[in-house]
Amino acid sequence: MTKRQLFYGLNFLILGLSVWAVVRDNTREWKDYQTEFKRLEVSRLKDALSNAATDAEKESLGAALQAAKRQGKAIRQVLANDLGKADRCVTCHVGLDPYANPGLSTPYTEHPYKASEVPEHKSHNLTKFACTSCHMGQGLATTVEDAHGRVAHWEEPMLTGPSIQAACVRCHGDFKTLKGAETAKRGKELIDRLGCVGCHSFNGVGGEISVDLGDIADKPTSRIDWSHTGECHGEHCGALEKRDWNVKNWIELHFTRDPIVLVPGDPEAKQCAPKTKCEPVSPSGMPPFYKELSKEDAVAITAYLMGQTANKYPSDYFVYAAPAKEPAFANPTAHGQYVFQKYGCAGCHGEGGKEGRRNYNAKANDQTKMEEGLEPTLTKVVGNYTREELRKKIHDGVPASAIAKFKEDGPMPPLYMPKWNEKIKGQELEDLITYLFSIAEKQEVW
Amino acid sequence: MSDTPAPTPSPAPAPAPKPAAAPQFSVDTLIKEATNGQIWKSMFRNWPWQDTARHRARHIVDNVWLHLHPTKVRPRALETTFTWGLGGLSFLLYLLLTITGVLLMFYYRPTVELAYQDMKDLQFAVSFGIFLRNNHRWCAHAMVTIVILHMVRVFLTGSYKKPREFNWGVGVILLTLTLFLSFTGYLLPWDQLAIWAVTVGTNMAAATPFLGNEGPFANLLGMKINNDVRFVLLGGTTVGANTLLRFYVMHCVLVPLVTGALIMLHFWRVRKDTFSAAPRQPDEEKVDVWPHLVVREYIAAAICVAFVWFVSVAFDAPLEELANPNVTPNPSKAPWYFLGLQELLVYFDPWIAGVLIPGLIIKGLCAIPYLDTNPKGVGYYTWKERPFANAIFMFGIVMWFVLIYIGTYCRGPNYFWYWPWESWLIHKPAPPPTWSFPLWLGVLSIAGYAGLGMALPKLIKGEIDWKKANWGFGVFFLVLAAAMKIGGDIEAWRIIVVGALLWMTFLFGFLYPQRYLKDIDFMRYQIAQSLNLMMMAVLLKMGLRLGLDVKYVLELPQFNLNI
Repeated sequence: MTKRQLFYGLNFLILGLSVWAVVRDNTREWKDYQTEFKRLEVSRLKDALSNAATDAEKESLGAALQAAKRQGKAIRQVLANDLGKADRCVTCHVGLDPYANPGLSTPYTEHPYKASEVPEHKSHNLTKFACTSCHMGQGLATTVEDAHGRVAHWEEPMLTGPSIQAACVRCHGDFKTLKGAETAKRGKELIDRLGCVGCHSFNGVGGEISVDLGDIADKPTSRIDWSHTGECHGEHCGALEKRDWNVKNWIELHFTRDPIVLVPGDPEAKQCAPKTKCEPVSPSGMPPFYKELSKEDAVAITAYLMGQTANKYPSDYFVYAAPAKEPAFANPTAHGQYVFQKYGCAGCHGEGGKEGRRNYNAKANDQTKMEEGLEPTLTKVVGNYTREELRKKIHDGVPASAIAKFKEDGPMPPLYMPKWNEKIKGQELEDLITYLFSIAEKQEVW
Repeated sequence: MSDTPAPTPSPAPAPAPKPAAAPQFSVDTLIKEATNGQIWKSMFRNWPWQDTARHRARHIVDNVWLHLHPTKVRPRALETTFTWGLGGLSFLLYLLLTITGVLLMFYYRPTVELAYQDMKDLQFAVSFGIFLRNNHRWCAHAMVTIVILHMVRVFLTGSYKKPREFNWGVGVILLTLTLFLSFTGYLLPWDQLAIWAVTVGTNMAAATPFLGNEGPFANLLGMKINNDVRFVLLGGTTVGANTLLRFYVMHCVLVPLVTGALIMLHFWRVRKDTFSAAPRQPDEEKVDVWPHLVVREYIAAAICVAFVWFVSVAFDAPLEELANPNVTPNPSKAPWYFLGLQELLVYFDPWIAGVLIPGLIIKGLCAIPYLDTNPKGVGYYTWKERPFANAIFMFGIVMWFVLIYIGTYCRGPNYFWYWPWESWLIHKPAPPPTWSFPLWLGVLSIAGYAGLGMALPKLIKGEIDWKKANWGFGVFFLVLAAAMKIGGDIEAWRIIVVGALLWMTFLFGFLYPQRYLKDIDFMRYQIAQSLNLMMMAVLLKMGLRLGLDVKYVLELPQFNLNI
């Protein structure tokens, strides 16, 4: 090749690459959506114009048609200055601009343009909330994948279906009475019923055995071990795709698969350095709730928990509810049952104390397997205590180190009976004990 | 020349009444008339162009952009394989980076609230925004690579030798400035990648002796976390808003200015020191720079531009989550060109790995032209005439890139060793516990290594037969291996690692200097051989850690001296 050929060849190559860059920049995804929208809008208005009856109607439709034809392509965004948000969703979801279309309804059924009148859109002014305050996703993005946020390095993908009710929980203290937040309400009820607060706390209120869930929705995905979150083949579970690494999936998995698969720990101390000894780590102590929950239940609990975030919004965005009143009870047993639920005793001992939950490597009896160690089933054991003994047991708790292990060199059982002396006292304690004796199975009298 | 007035184009009178008869118009006449005018001639001298020796020379001298060239060069300078155009390409990338950098400054605000958002705007909203950012990023990586390759080329052709010693030193400083330019830019996207890479990088500054709060002798000058050299660099105790502003100003103003000034000095010296060292061919005649050299420079530049253009359209620059000082990624890695140093942190205390070794590398590089007294091998590639210099230098460069490779591809969570094909999600057990030599053995090893390493090559006269020496080493290694296998029940791969690195040390630390270095004068021998031994010591220590889990050879915590 002569230098002259090289000279021309390279110049044309650079020119070609520059053209490629220009073409790529000018054929961005969102432009197609705006083209299509313009076509739809023009043909709709033309139809309407040909059917128009009065001159006034014709004139206004004609003006609208001219305006639609003149509409240029541009990136559009909804600004919510208080929140520092600039959401570009309306770049593709054309027609949902709150200024041009305050009702946020369109006559179209095609996906990016479809919108029916939703009361929530009316009550939540888009100039105050923009889109991503409730829907999540990546508001600044202008491609389908990136904007909906199911991409690597974006931790808040768009909430779809009933899980969007997480957004209600974030601001509405009274979300349980809200129309449209039924799933979140159901999630909260499940959490109360299952006794999650026995181990977890919410903003400091609740148990100490596991993590505080008060800001669980903010948990950074890099703090999560995704190794066992994906599809399972027999015993072995792979990892989720990186773009699905988000807290919502993480929470939901705790209710759709056994937590000891999700967080296997290191019960046989295999992660030890060679020729050293180290402590085995027990797997997750969370009971296998997936056995008794449906997919809808899991979604409901997740929706509620995704509403648990550290306060990110200005205070005037909040709807505060009056603090719940302690209900009054006719007899001590009913009050005791309420106390049993209030402190999450069911979390370990089962609803109504009827079935102790799994406690890994705790020795329940000689027949159990290592992973099937159980918490005491209260209905069976409570009868062996005197009132005084039971009071002391609840008061002092049972530390994990005092629980008999199934396998001596195995890990410390993850669940234990915390000290309740700071929390359950006075009348609550007395009525709880009364309740517990009321559910105890009849003991043989010698 | 412009005494004849330029004829004004006037419509010729139309004799025939044809309706479409336009005034006579041709591109050639237009160009001729335009270039004959006063405006054109005031801008461009020596017009019209004639292909004469005088014009070719004037084309260079009268042009501000080209006048740095001589008007004639020796034909050797035109050979592509002599320079590969690497110096010029470094400068080209510096210019491209200036242009794209200035354009990016229109869109970028260096505050923690806005910087990341501006990255997203560049990607999703700004016309050509993502192209600009990609281009800036890939050009920066290309510049770092090409500047390093340029240094290697200059070394291999001996172009640093007298009288060009000083310019080599300027080049070394320019290399470190290039790295620093890239490093300061690394923070600006304000994502997790950025702040943690910069955290790793700047933490090394805290280990500086005397000046860093974690370094040896920190209390002599009263260094604390809020007044040491790292604090000055960061404008705080952690990477935060002040750091972003500082790095922005350094990246956009301070470092480019200093770099630009030194580039001028570098070019000036290149011209003044002339291209004349290579041996002359009989009846060699110089050739005109215009067009012979200029066209080659243009082609090299065009290839480079085409390459970065292609990469910038095809591949997006990385952008991770918004920076979060509370969430440390595992592992946190520095930019790739510092991963060699970060890898050394596995084997050495931070002040050695992060300050002493890079300091010695820079000083050692600057010292090379003053240590290398071999007059041969200037202006051409030769291994035969400069076996020692080439072998040691290339060994260092290869070792550097091997370290970078390990740091980039072989280090996973907790900085444990993961092969490139192993998933980081399948957790590895912790590495075996480390141990240190007892003090007496440590002192003995260091003293023995330094003493024998310095003395032996100088003391042993005569030629050593390398074949015999290597066989001898082989026998020694087999005995050693057997002893390790029987005495310590050590796995075979560990013995091989230790053996291979010991052999390299034997070859480059003893055999080479014994043959090639012992005859230079005493001072130069002392400096060159001690630098050489220190480089080999880094390798030995790596072997001891990877193979035998040795933490420290010499442990003197009271002096902060753990080697």
